[in-house]
Amino acid sequence: MEALLTNAGPSKPRKYSDGQKRSFRTSGPDATVASIAGHTSLPKSLALPEDDMPKTHPADTKVSSRFLQSRLSRQHVQKQHAVLARKDAELLLPDVPGGLEAEGELERTWKVGQEDISNEIGLETARSRRDIKLDGGDYNLRWTRNGRHLAIAGKTGHVATFDWQTGNVLAEIQLRETARDITFLHDYTMFAVAQKKYVYIYDANGVELHRLSSHIDTNRLEFLPYHYLLVSVGNTGYLKYQDTSTGQVITELRTKLGACATMCQNPHNAVINLGHQHGSVTLWVPNMPKPVVQLQAHLGPITGLAVDSKSEGRYLASAGLDSKVKIWDARNWGKCVKEWQPLESGSGGIVEWSGRGLLAFSRGRRVNVYASNTLLDGNSKPPSLYMSHHLPTQTSSIRFQAFEDVLAVGHAAGFSTVIVPGAGEPNPDSYEADIYETRGGRREREVRGLLDKLQPDMISVDTNFIGSIAPAIKRPYSEAAVPFSRLPRTERLRIQGKTDEPMEEEDDDGDDATQEDSRTEKEKHKMRGKSKSMKRFLRKKRKNVIDPATAAVKAKMAAIRERQEKQKGISEGNIEPERKGALSRFRKP
Amino acid sequence: MKIKALERSASQSLPQRAGDPTPRSRNLDPSLHPFARAREYTRALTAAKMDRIYAKPFVAALEGHVDGVYTLARDPGRLGVVGSGSGDGEIILHHLPTRTNVRKIKAHDGIVSGLTFTRSRHILSCSVDRSIKLWEADAETDTVVEEDIDPDRAGPSVQKGGAPVRTFMGKMAFNSVDHHRSEAKFASASNMVQLWDETKTEPILNMQFGNGAETVLTVRFNQSETSVLASTGTDRTMCLYDVRTGKAERRVVMALRANALSWHPTQPTVMLLASEDHNLYTFDVRNLGSPTQIYKDHVAAVMACDWSPTGEGFVSGSWDRTLRLWKEGDGRSVDVYHGKRMQRVFATQYTADARFILSGSDDGIVRLWKSRASDKLGVLDGRERASREYRDKLREKWRHAPEVRKVERQRYLPKAIYSAGKLKRTMEGAGKAREENRRRHTREGEGKPKAERRKVVLAEQE
Repeated sequence: MEALLTNAGPSKPRKYSDGQKRSFRTSGPDATVASIAGHTSLPKSLALPEDDMPKTHPADTKVSSRFLQSRLSRQHVQKQHAVLARKDAELLLPDVPGGLEAEGELERTWKVGQEDISNEIGLETARSRRDIKLDGGDYNLRWTRNGRHLAIAGKTGHVATFDWQTGNVLAEIQLRETARDITFLHDYTMFAVAQKKYVYIYDANGVELHRLSSHIDTNRLEFLPYHYLLVSVGNTGYLKYQDTSTGQVITELRTKLGACATMCQNPHNAVINLGHQHGSVTLWVPNMPKPVVQLQAHLGPITGLAVDSKSEGRYLASAGLDSKVKIWDARNWGKCVKEWQPLESGSGGIVEWSGRGLLAFSRGRRVNVYASNTLLDGNSKPPSLYMSHHLPTQTSSIRFQAFEDVLAVGHAAGFSTVIVPGAGEPNPDSYEADIYETRGGRREREVRGLLDKLQPDMISVDTNFIGSIAPAIKRPYSEAAVPFSRLPRTERLRIQGKTDEPMEEEDDDGDDATQEDSRTEKEKHKMRGKSKSMKRFLRKKRKNVIDPATAAVKAKMAAIRERQEKQKGISEGNIEPERKGALSRFRKP
Repeated sequence: MKIKALERSASQSLPQRAGDPTPRSRNLDPSLHPFARAREYTRALTAAKMDRIYAKPFVAALEGHVDGVYTLARDPGRLGVVGSGSGDGEIILHHLPTRTNVRKIKAHDGIVSGLTFTRSRHILSCSVDRSIKLWEADAETDTVVEEDIDPDRAGPSVQKGGAPVRTFMGKMAFNSVDHHRSEAKFASASNMVQLWDETKTEPILNMQFGNGAETVLTVRFNQSETSVLASTGTDRTMCLYDVRTGKAERRVVMALRANALSWHPTQPTVMLLASEDHNLYTFDVRNLGSPTQIYKDHVAAVMACDWSPTGEGFVSGSWDRTLRLWKEGDGRSVDVYHGKRMQRVFATQYTADARFILSGSDDGIVRLWKSRASDKLGVLDGRERASREYRDKLREKWRHAPEVRKVERQRYLPKAIYSAGKLKRTMEGAGKAREENRRRHTREGEGKPKAERRKVVLAEQE
């Protein structure tokens, strides 16, 4: 074993041909080390960086079982290892994000127009920039989760879905009544439209499948893909959840805040955010009749809400008719992270976050994109503008395409797609959302999705409550309160503030005072039954009797006490020790 | 101005040729995987439910006996051959892959009380007719010809009768026989424990504790310390012997007698006892004062027990007509098997690959069960195996979640067993309450509660 260990040696940093040192490990751990690692405790020089971590879970007093405690501790360590391994695996990601970068002092990224971008980038991506003129009124847009399909709904009832990769139209229908919002269900094969009175569900070919007559006068629709819940809110002010896999209406929540026209979902905890007419934002879960959070976000009606998915649903952007845009932190609702007044004329506006945390804001005919690094920096300056784009008519909806640098903008005369470099997450996970999903893959995902369907009662603000240990029940211990009428008079006067106690003086010798206090506070250990009248009588009687045994004991105790005191004095040096010996009698007193 | 936008080409993300698997990309960034924990929990719950859906433990019933099956033995050298002995003195050798009887021997006049394979493809049987007989057990079982496997004709392929190779006569009825791990010796249990050589007609060693005249019920050789023996008897004792000293070394007296005994296959100090008081006990033989664990779940006397060859757990058969599977160190059973027509279980045996369990019961049928109820028989596809392993891991990880635990633990039992269990729990509760009351009314410090483990052994004798 000794030979093995010395041969293995500490792993040396690897040299690269370009002479640079790189911080990450490119090769796995040494094979020799790995072979013995399971059976031995490695010396410090051989330890991998993972081994620097704390090995155990902080002692959890809530868990009484030792076995469970050790299991939890082991899981905790494994989790930490997994985080490190995940960081290592980031090296393997093939694609890097796009972006705009100013090279000179005077260059500004927001001055770059779509034409400039199209000239610089590849043909394939440049072709995805389109302006489509339609006459269906204000268009609402929605992408599927993998960003492959697009659904549009014009105000006057023109509804269509596209396969954006191939450019095919899948369904196109003229409803001949108002269409206020559109959303895909779990994938592109079904979509729901909020129409004049009810919500309808159509299939990929535009054939009507269902009329959801319980959703009346709906303004906004959201679909929670992991829970299979279609959520709607409208002029009646009711927030309704309907399970699209079983068809059941899960719950209807009365907001009591009037008609609502702004809604967004938090993709990381499935909490629904509503923006109301008097400027408040409310957060809802289906298991509670009242909002989990209610905050006064603006001084006018809310017009736009969006939750950032890059930061795992931590930041909420809101825009209101008080012409302000605000960013809120879900960990602290008390104060907004950033607040600014965009320079565009008018008020209101809509907001949307991209996959990499850029914020798009649109008001009037203008779409602005803000860089993510200046949005959350915590100072009071408005964020720096990253890109800006002008459209022919008033915008009604902006949606980023997932995993692409594309922003789709719906407006009064059709819709346009704008290229925003750096907006899309470059590396999708094909087990979660596959861009090039095949027919078989889609079917498989549908079945697996239904098997893994989350129950509506699992929705909560903190998603990690599942699998965590419930906090210990607190039993507040308080002494039974004595009613006011039964208190002694002085107490009653003190409570009423009618006592004429002398004011406490500020004295210098505070120590003495505290000592005095502690002496008086000393508790008397009264024993029950100690002072019965008979016993008291007997005790008194005993006082007069001189018992020789008691007297002897008392004398002995006194002698002992005296000796002890003398000893103490000697040890402290106050008393001269008594010298013994033949000459001690000559000692001077 | 540097400008770069994402470029994707379908050619990289689609299979190169027809029939190729679709390329998959992975990104472990948690912001791309919402509800990871909740989804994993849901999957674990589904996995637990699927495990119960697929739980079909019963494999086959091996018929052939006219009377009840009271003893079973597996051949250490072959996977597919087991022997069973019944109450009418008949021995049958079963071939498990084909589920046929390969040999049927009318061996004894009384009940076959013990059965064990030797290391040379012979089988030893003992009986209350005071004889131990050695039989040929080769029977070409390794090469069963296709024509022989005909369920309609049970007769022709069965070899019948024949004379024993050797007979060993004793003075008293034999209750158990066990063969030495490697040498050509075996031990028998009658009113004492005797050690025999296969080639000699007289026992080479007689061992008994003191001058005890009680009947010895079972005797077993230790699997790794091969010269150590253990026995249980009707005098409620468990006794340890050493062949090298030729003496009974020590014994413990318990409240009720132990019906069966099994040594751990790998740990020489660990022993399992199946007791008449409905419980099983594991003992560390270095410290016989108290068992290391009590295993409670049966509602009647435990009649048989056997360690899994892996040593991780064991199986027990009981008078209450069930088999229960246990993990070492876990006081509650992992699973319970029962059949509509299965009667009192008198013999249980793991197969040597630990995948199956055999049980012999009063109704004369040897039953073959899976040792993991939801196992799939036959060849597993790679993907299927991977998904099974994933599901198992999920179940293990989430087993403390209340919903998962409920699905995992819940078993539907025959009404008689269920109500007997309920009654037993009530009685135990009442006993505990009574004890507690008594303690409350005794002077402080006198009525100390006694740990359950301390109550098992009444006396330890040397």
